[in-house]
Amino acid sequence: MANKIYPLKPRSTKAPIISYINKLSLQKLKPLSTNYLTGLTLLSITLLITFLASLALGSVAIPLTEVLNILLGGTATKPAWQEIILNFRLPRSLTAMTAGSALAISGLQLQALFRNPLAGPSVLGINAGASLGAALIVLTVGSGGLWGQLNVVGAASLGAAIAMLLVLLIARQVRSSLALLIFGLMLGYVTTALVTILLHFSRLEQTLAYLNWTFGSFSGVTWQQMPILLSVVSIGLLTSQLTCKPLNLLLLGEQQAISLGLSITAVRCYLIVSASLLAGSITAFCGPIAFLGVAVPHLGRSLFRTQDHRILVPVVALLGAMLALVANSIAQVPGSQTILPLNAVMALLGAPVIIWLMLKRSNH
Amino acid sequence: MILSFKDFSFIQGLKAALLTGLFATAGCRISPSATDFSTAESSDCITDYAPNTDYFPNKIQPQYAAGFSVDYHNHYKVVTVTQPWQGANESFKYLLVQCGTPIPEGFEDAQVIQVPVDTVVTLSTTYLPHLDRLDQVDALLGMDNFSFVYSPNIRTKIEQGKLIEFSSGRTLDIERLLISSPDLIMAYGTGDPDADSYGRLIQAGLPVVLLGDYVENSPLGRAEWLTFTALFFNQEAMAQQVFTEISTEYESLVELTDTLSDRPTVFSGFSYEGTWYMPGGKSYAAQLLQDAGSAYLWANNDSTVTIPLDFESVFDQAATADVWINVSQDWLNYGDAIATDPRYGEFAAFKQDKIFNNNARMNDTGGNDYWESGAVNPHLILADLVKIFYPELLPEHELIYYQQLEP
Repeated sequence: MANKIYPLKPRSTKAPIISYINKLSLQKLKPLSTNYLTGLTLLSITLLITFLASLALGSVAIPLTEVLNILLGGTATKPAWQEIILNFRLPRSLTAMTAGSALAISGLQLQALFRNPLAGPSVLGINAGASLGAALIVLTVGSGGLWGQLNVVGAASLGAAIAMLLVLLIARQVRSSLALLIFGLMLGYVTTALVTILLHFSRLEQTLAYLNWTFGSFSGVTWQQMPILLSVVSIGLLTSQLTCKPLNLLLLGEQQAISLGLSITAVRCYLIVSASLLAGSITAFCGPIAFLGVAVPHLGRSLFRTQDHRILVPVVALLGAMLALVANSIAQVPGSQTILPLNAVMALLGAPVIIWLMLKRSNH
Repeated sequence: MILSFKDFSFIQGLKAALLTGLFATAGCRISPSATDFSTAESSDCITDYAPNTDYFPNKIQPQYAAGFSVDYHNHYKVVTVTQPWQGANESFKYLLVQCGTPIPEGFEDAQVIQVPVDTVVTLSTTYLPHLDRLDQVDALLGMDNFSFVYSPNIRTKIEQGKLIEFSSGRTLDIERLLISSPDLIMAYGTGDPDADSYGRLIQAGLPVVLLGDYVENSPLGRAEWLTFTALFFNQEAMAQQVFTEISTEYESLVELTDTLSDRPTVFSGFSYEGTWYMPGGKSYAAQLLQDAGSAYLWANNDSTVTIPLDFESVFDQAATADVWINVSQDWLNYGDAIATDPRYGEFAAFKQDKIFNNNARMNDTGGNDYWESGAVNPHLILADLVKIFYPELLPEHELIYYQQLEP
């Protein structure tokens, strides 16, 4: 088992969940013990509470009793509230959870694949591919028209898929993951350059529409699109659970993994497909949300003090969902009519947390 | 680090591109007339300068526009633009000297422009109707981009190759401007030195003037900037006459709706990925809605610019509103709106076919006359809106800039 537990001293901390998990890690060394399951249960309960809170919080103040009443199928005192809860907040919160876990898992997979803590969904050029697809639609034909919003989603998915195929082709050719990483970055630069040229020749209104797309948003996914998003992400998440063991082996280094009987090329391709499906579909529906994919794996490793992907996959999925929900609720600025760009909130909220955790860990 | 830097510079680039606001187009051409432009003295030049003569018998002062002022002297005018952009804390001074008379001393910091000017370049389509109403279209050498020009008159000139396009994409070609050497460049500023081009133009010694028409919060204030343009052509008398017609017409429409009490509720715009840009309650758009006798749902908001709102808060306030205006230019019918986001269909205004868009006059290249001739026709835009809210008040009026969304 490639399982690394950080040595710990018992200490008190203001954050109850962390001290609780610290205690957990101290007590046991076997990773899949009941204590770990308790931690996971705790995380799930917190996620459920965050989910309900995200439904109750929004620009429009709706009393909690009304929210519960509407969720349980009752009729609201104001018809608009019913519409807001069922057709605005519910799909938004579901999208946030889906996106959060998908991006976080995709980041986790890529960080293990490249053995690089800075890796995230953007390193493979998948985000950039999706951006180019979206830009082609938004900046040339407009997001209205016959196919409407699905056009943007379709084009972004196609862009992500093409980027993924290119990366896959290269992955079969080159042996070193570093070369693959650099290829992904270069692909990103090329697509970004093409988007810049498109922007240069576009109308102000189109530029604004594209700019808004790059801000990232969970509000754009409607019930009509939800089944597509959910099914793609479910497939990605299920397969990610199956990649736990190869991921653990990869942590030992590629040479060691090969000597242990791992087919690097096969695992690499498998991971690229899985990570691209997750990140590509989310980028297509929600815009490029870069931060979650890079940050949440670190958060998971810090909180659960482990590198074991059998633990990290569910933990990171839950944490990603939770962080996305919290960021989304803050971006709505509850109680005010205004709204903040999601990507900005995500980084402003998440970066200090990650830095704090890093500093805390390096002290030990 | 590499990743975050890349993302950062990309967003910065986008922001700069957005703020520049220079409309874009593919391709460009230089007409032959660009190089053979004559620098001969204007026939309006004074040959026998007499210090005590008042060379500007017709004088104007802005009544509605708050962003500029003018001081008349015998042979020169001092024009100050006090609000070149939103929240500006610097003003720009222009010394307009009658051609053939000496340049007065004491204005070293001001840009000197000899009037009347013979040739002009515009860097925004909103200035084209100024030239049109002042009969000065012949002075036009060219503009930043052709693609957003609506005026059929100017489009014909473009097709005949009589005009020059000075930008390619979002980049203004200063060399092309220097070769054409216009007497006046009508430009605007945003207050962002990275995005604004006027600084480079001044450095190149080009006669650039900033117009703050887009900063004005009243429709008549915006339209009155045509008298500002007139100062450079010594066309004050004509400008006064044109603007008086506009303001009289506008005020009479306001009088018509002023006393109405049972006002239809209205909201504006659409959602970009969940963010709904709504005109602030003190903005130009809000003023038009108020003057048209409607009850704008965000009238109590204090902002003079657009405010980003959450879709759900717009839905909460506007679900039962009577009329919905200024939707996306991409929507040609109700199906387009639904395809973009089915939640649009839940608005009462949608269900009752009460969506009106300001894109009735658009051409193939994307030019919308609402943003062009609309700048000097606030009375016609207002008439459209009154017709939308109270069809019975203006039975004769046919919608000009607005059209109802098709089923």
